[in-house]
Amino acid sequence: MKHGFRQSMAWLHTWTGLLVGWLLLLIFMGGTASYYKQEISRWMRPELPLAAVDRDVALGSAEHYLREHAGDALSWNITLPDERAQVIEMYWMNPTPPEGASRRAAYGSATVDPRSGEEVAARDTTGGEFLYRLHFDLHYIPAIWARYIVGFCAMFMLVAIITGVITHKKIFKEFFTFRPGKGQRSWLDFHNVSAVLALPYHALITYTGIITLVFMYLPWGLSARYPSDEMRYYDESGNRIVDMREASGTPAPLLPLETLLASARRDLGGAAIENVAVNRPGDSTATVTFSAQPAALSKLAPSVMYDGVHGKLLERSPPPGGASQTYGVLYGLHMAHFADPALRLLFFVCGLLGCLMVASGAVLWAAKERPKHLKAGRIGFGLRLVDALNIGAIAGLPIAFASYFWANRLLPLGIEGRADWEANTFFLAWGAALLAAFVWPKRQMWAWQLYAGAALFGLIPLLNALTTGIHLGVTLPAGLWSLAGVDLVCLALGLCLGVAARRMQRWQPPLSAAQRRARAMAATESTHRPAPVGAGEGA
Amino acid sequence: MSALTWMAISLGYAGFTALCLAMERHHAELFGKQAAAPQRRARWRWLGWTLLAVSFALCVQARGWGLGIVLWVGTLTASSLVLVLGLLPYRPRAIVPLAWAAPVLAAALWLALG
Repeated sequence: MKHGFRQSMAWLHTWTGLLVGWLLLLIFMGGTASYYKQEISRWMRPELPLAAVDRDVALGSAEHYLREHAGDALSWNITLPDERAQVIEMYWMNPTPPEGASRRAAYGSATVDPRSGEEVAARDTTGGEFLYRLHFDLHYIPAIWARYIVGFCAMFMLVAIITGVITHKKIFKEFFTFRPGKGQRSWLDFHNVSAVLALPYHALITYTGIITLVFMYLPWGLSARYPSDEMRYYDESGNRIVDMREASGTPAPLLPLETLLASARRDLGGAAIENVAVNRPGDSTATVTFSAQPAALSKLAPSVMYDGVHGKLLERSPPPGGASQTYGVLYGLHMAHFADPALRLLFFVCGLLGCLMVASGAVLWAAKERPKHLKAGRIGFGLRLVDALNIGAIAGLPIAFASYFWANRLLPLGIEGRADWEANTFFLAWGAALLAAFVWPKRQMWAWQLYAGAALFGLIPLLNALTTGIHLGVTLPAGLWSLAGVDLVCLALGLCLGVAARRMQRWQPPLSAAQRRARAMAATESTHRPAPVGAGEGA
Repeated sequence: MSALTWMAISLGYAGFTALCLAMERHHAELFGKQAAAPQRRARWRWLGWTLLAVSFALCVQARGWGLGIVLWVGTLTASSLVLVLGLLPYRPRAIVPLAWAAPVLAAALWLALG
């Protein structure tokens, strides 16, 4: 071997990281925002009522609506509100749609007031769900391709993490080392520190991210054991209760769900109930299944099924086996469903650190490469490409995210496909940023785009105050932290981007040793000030 | 934020500060070359690891093995972040006073919230 082991690993680290860096940044940003998916979804539907309700009332409201509007549905599914967001998520399956109807027509859904069960005319938006889907389904392309692409990026990320640890010779010696204001040295320090301080998080989130889709990436075990019925595997491994009964066709009144909820709480040992699924409402074979909220790291939680007409307990979910439990914990660690507000914030901070790690790695590549090009007197194609992608991704993506929130507030409420236009706005803004970066990949472009991102994020609280009634003036005094938090985090991100933009604008290239000596000599002789050196052409 | 989280972050911060000062280079930066006696630095190292261990014990005791460890690791990242990217390069004189004050304040908060 021509090179030593460590050099080989350094090479691998550089190129695996750089190749997928820009897409990884999108994935990391989308995933980081997803820790507050519910809060964002709530914030993006300002028409919803503010008052908190308990789950009993919410279930009654959902039931009231469904009995009235979806009485003939094949099934109902209701996810009850929790402390994070006062929203009932519900959908139902319509009776067999006519031939040729779209798959979408098979399902119905509604947004209702959790207090009354009356439909709320909330704006058409995908909310936080868009950002969550973005981080593994991307957009515009079939989800299956997107998940292969994202899986590929995640595998590269995992390789970059492992080779990064091997390459980082002074991982303990430089554990506390960050030396700002020293050019390339500082970028390397920052890249190291952002990686090492949150290393457990980076490794965990990348590995468990791959694990969430492992049966897509490695399907052979599953297809060998369950050749004809993949769903059965998911039912069995996820310890779901399977209800394959046929409808009898004999109508029978469904018991009030409230009564069954009380039984479910008792039978599940007092657990909080998260989801209620009703099969064949109105039929004599109706069943009602209650699932508990997962209480620990694992996403698996027990459930119970009742006869919907007589209220008899029909089935309990079996206790999970070791493999299922392991998978449930790995999946749960990725989703962080168990996190209380403090732990959720820590996950969010770690996610941001992940974004900064990926970004600083890509910038570091350019910083290392630049001196060679400056010596040669022209910026080569490779560096120009990386500069453009760096600006378009690192400074451009915050513009796209903020634009998505702006679109939510500013797009007219009545337009056709409004939710799609919010998503389109994200990509239009990002496309514009990328295009501008390719046209002029220079330091000024960094500053402009960072300023644009700063303004868009920083002004969101103001925009919110001008367009809705759930602004900080209302939410802070009322202590509605999940709503106020969205405004406050946007403001904080805006401030950080503003500081970055200012520093980028004012940056002067560091002096070489010879230049420093010349300047010191000039100062002691106090004859004249040296001419400004090497006015920064490089980005 | 719960008192437990603040306590874990404070102890983590104090622990990392002690471990940082146990390293010759950082010790010399802050106290000058002469004070960096090996015995003194060894004591800082012991103190640092002990503080991190106490934080670990508190998290696990309060939240159990699963959640407790996740919370502990999260607070380690947050507290080392404050030290390494925040105070050490920009306000090095503040790191030791804060390492004393933070756990005391967290303990007061803990007692106040019961």
